[in-house]
Amino acid sequence: MKKIFVILLLAVIGYYVTSAFQLIPFGENRIGDPTEENNVAAYYMNNTKEKSQVANVVTAIVVNYRGFDTLGEVTVLFLATTGLGSILYRRKEEEEERLNKPSSSLLQTGSKLLFPLVVLLGIYVFIHGHLTPGGGFQGGAIIATGFLLMLIAYQKYHVGHSMLNWVESLAGITFVTIGLWGLLTGGTFLENSFLPMGTLNSLISGGAIPIIYIAVGFKVAAELTGVLDILLNTKEK
Amino acid sequence: MNISPVHYIAFPLLAAFLIPLLAKLHKELVRIVPGIVLGYFLIISATLMMRVHETGTISQVIAGWSAPWGINLVFSAFSGFLASLMSLIGFLAWLYSYRFKKVDDEPSQKYFILMMMLVTGSIGIVLTGDIFNLFVFMEIVAISSYALTAFYTGRDSAEAAFKYLLIGSFASALILLAILLLYTQTGTLNMADLASKMHLVSTPIKASVLVLFLVGFGIESEMFPLNGWAPDAYSQAPAPIGAIFAGVVVKAGVYALIRVIFTIFGFSGAFEPLIILGLITMVVAEVSALRQDNLKRMLAFSSIGQMGVVLIAFGIGTSNAVFAALFLMFNHAIIKSLLFFSGSYLLYNSKTKSINDLKGMAKKNAFTALFFALGAFAIVGLPPFSGFWSKLYLLMSAADSHMFLLIAVILIMAVVEIVYYFRVVGKLYYSKETTDIEVTKPSINGMLVIAFLGLLILAVGFYPDLITGYLHQAADSLMDKTAYIQDVLTANI
Amino acid sequence: MQMIQQIISVSVYGSAIALLLIGLYAVLTKKHLIKIVIGLSIVDAGLHLLFVAVGYINNGTAPIFSPGNENRVLQMVDPVPQALVLTAIVIGFATTAVALSLIIRLYKHHKTARIDEIKTLKW
Repeated sequence: MKKIFVILLLAVIGYYVTSAFQLIPFGENRIGDPTEENNVAAYYMNNTKEKSQVANVVTAIVVNYRGFDTLGEVTVLFLATTGLGSILYRRKEEEEERLNKPSSSLLQTGSKLLFPLVVLLGIYVFIHGHLTPGGGFQGGAIIATGFLLMLIAYQKYHVGHSMLNWVESLAGITFVTIGLWGLLTGGTFLENSFLPMGTLNSLISGGAIPIIYIAVGFKVAAELTGVLDILLNTKEK
Repeated sequence: MNISPVHYIAFPLLAAFLIPLLAKLHKELVRIVPGIVLGYFLIISATLMMRVHETGTISQVIAGWSAPWGINLVFSAFSGFLASLMSLIGFLAWLYSYRFKKVDDEPSQKYFILMMMLVTGSIGIVLTGDIFNLFVFMEIVAISSYALTAFYTGRDSAEAAFKYLLIGSFASALILLAILLLYTQTGTLNMADLASKMHLVSTPIKASVLVLFLVGFGIESEMFPLNGWAPDAYSQAPAPIGAIFAGVVVKAGVYALIRVIFTIFGFSGAFEPLIILGLITMVVAEVSALRQDNLKRMLAFSSIGQMGVVLIAFGIGTSNAVFAALFLMFNHAIIKSLLFFSGSYLLYNSKTKSINDLKGMAKKNAFTALFFALGAFAIVGLPPFSGFWSKLYLLMSAADSHMFLLIAVILIMAVVEIVYYFRVVGKLYYSKETTDIEVTKPSINGMLVIAFLGLLILAVGFYPDLITGYLHQAADSLMDKTAYIQDVLTANI
Repeated sequence: MQMIQQIISVSVYGSAIALLLIGLYAVLTKKHLIKIVIGLSIVDAGLHLLFVAVGYINNGTAPIFSPGNENRVLQMVDPVPQALVLTAIVIGFATTAVALSLIIRLYKHHKTARIDEIKTLKW
């Protein structure tokens, strides 16, 4: 009985959402002519090449134009890790062993071989965030996947919590300090003007953007791995 | 470096990232650093409020890109007033929890970080000028509140937190959908820019966006029928966190709702749906509060009812009504915090937090009981406490708009409030038997906080002009949509 | 050509809205807590897909000025929804992590993860 009611409700919601999206044609060009700068997307497309010297416009938006949002998002991840630690807190006497069966030797050998390659790929992705698709969040997630592989394959594998905390805190402090530096030197918070801009499409370009994204990459990798580790509740060393 | 609105966000984040490292140096730093940050908030608030008084709205550009290409923070008379109020409550909550016994073991590090970020996130909601940034700060507040609701390892706190999480995620999804629809039609995310481009949006989409925002922000502002999560969350969270929920978080939710309705959509005059929803919220909440046995749940329902009254006041829409609404928000923040703080010490050792455990406690715990009674008198609107003035202004503005039925209902609900609050006070002072619950004397910092709040209530009650000047400026700043758009879009630094 | 455009448009929007509805159905009707959290994840996925779908421009390519592409500004898709989605995905992940940890705690106390056996608090 309840299921029928729910299905009816969902049908109504689906109908309304669909009709709202009928009014938004798929693939319609809403940016218009970039040089006219009627909306934010046009402005970004028009100005990123000259003013920021960064090839990947999405990276420029995430780190520079809307860098404040990224700062908030990094904080959300940090709060999730802290919250997890506080919700799942248990005193020393109550800690338990993980309860998974040992995995097959295929998984164990494979993980050991793949793990450094996956981490390398992740580091590549976030270092080149301003040149190719990718960036800090994507690279950090890839690295965390590598750690997940090791955590699943080996029962005794465990990542040091104190090292994770150090990486997390240092990366976060780097991000906020770069922001405050802009404020201290008379500009605005997170202004991207105190490092040389470099040339388009080279590794050193975009001022502080690659540095911020590298810090974000390390931070996201450390936090995602920390979350996985806490959820699997491995014993503290 | 001058004091500017971004200090409200940058310094707490720096402190939050530093605290895990500092904890290795010295354990006490974990408690002290959030206090320094929150105390600094008070200094920023005072400085910036004076600056706004002289030179008008401060609109600060972030990352060197002026609005609408970048994000900006807007410290106007209205948002600045709310930010200062939130800093005050946050600082008092920190002072209160400094030596609060139950948060003294290891997770205290996490408790102080989460509490600091809860206050920071709410101030961020109030100060930002960009709607996606508002969403991000709302998520900061949400994640901190989920974690803090489940802080004590009792049986029910995890369930309350989970319910809160489900409903909160639903709210976030609706708000994201609304932001998406608005972006496709106007091409911008800045609130002032949205306000000036709203006439380009077709009506069906405008209607759906309004409904989505009403429901999404209504969940955060505890509007009926979306407030099922609130009584559980308030009663399960630690008392100082309950005070922050009531005094800070819900104000941020109401601010977001009001900013959308008044500034982005540009409604002026009476907004009937808000009045009706506020009325239903108030009636249902006050009646439910009558039936509660648990003191914290009763306070939670009373808080929801007060927010309903605030929504009614905003709905009436005249300048006087908005002034009354702001005054109500101010009073609710300080009085409800006082009730939470003192009520928590009264029922410190009770397992069930039932009102019956309060019988005759006034003899054992005179200080705390006295201030609890003061808070109870203030919130029902008795003179000479500050609650009287806000109720008076509200009723006067309702009379100006000829909404006499409204006045009748509000007065009836005030009687209901008097009944359930005086029931508690009666049990405290006039009960024949005394309870056998052990009494905990509040520590020095607890007593300081409770006394300060009580004196503030008395001071504003005798001299409401202490804050009416700020409130009038704040009300005018909210009502003037064109000034807001101009201040934001022409700011350069 | 027009037919293909229509089919693509219907399938992209349709699948995103279908994901939203399936996820909502799971949250509203399932009794096991983990299934409810999975439903929440599916709702998030549908929402993110909607975001990206709205940013697409016909015949557009990725908004990256790689060597050789420096002047094709007129043929790039909208970069702003992609940036917003990055943030939204991370926030969704954080919420799911907190939800799962709450489930672990609920399971430890009640020895069950079904919502009908846990309801001690009145609605």
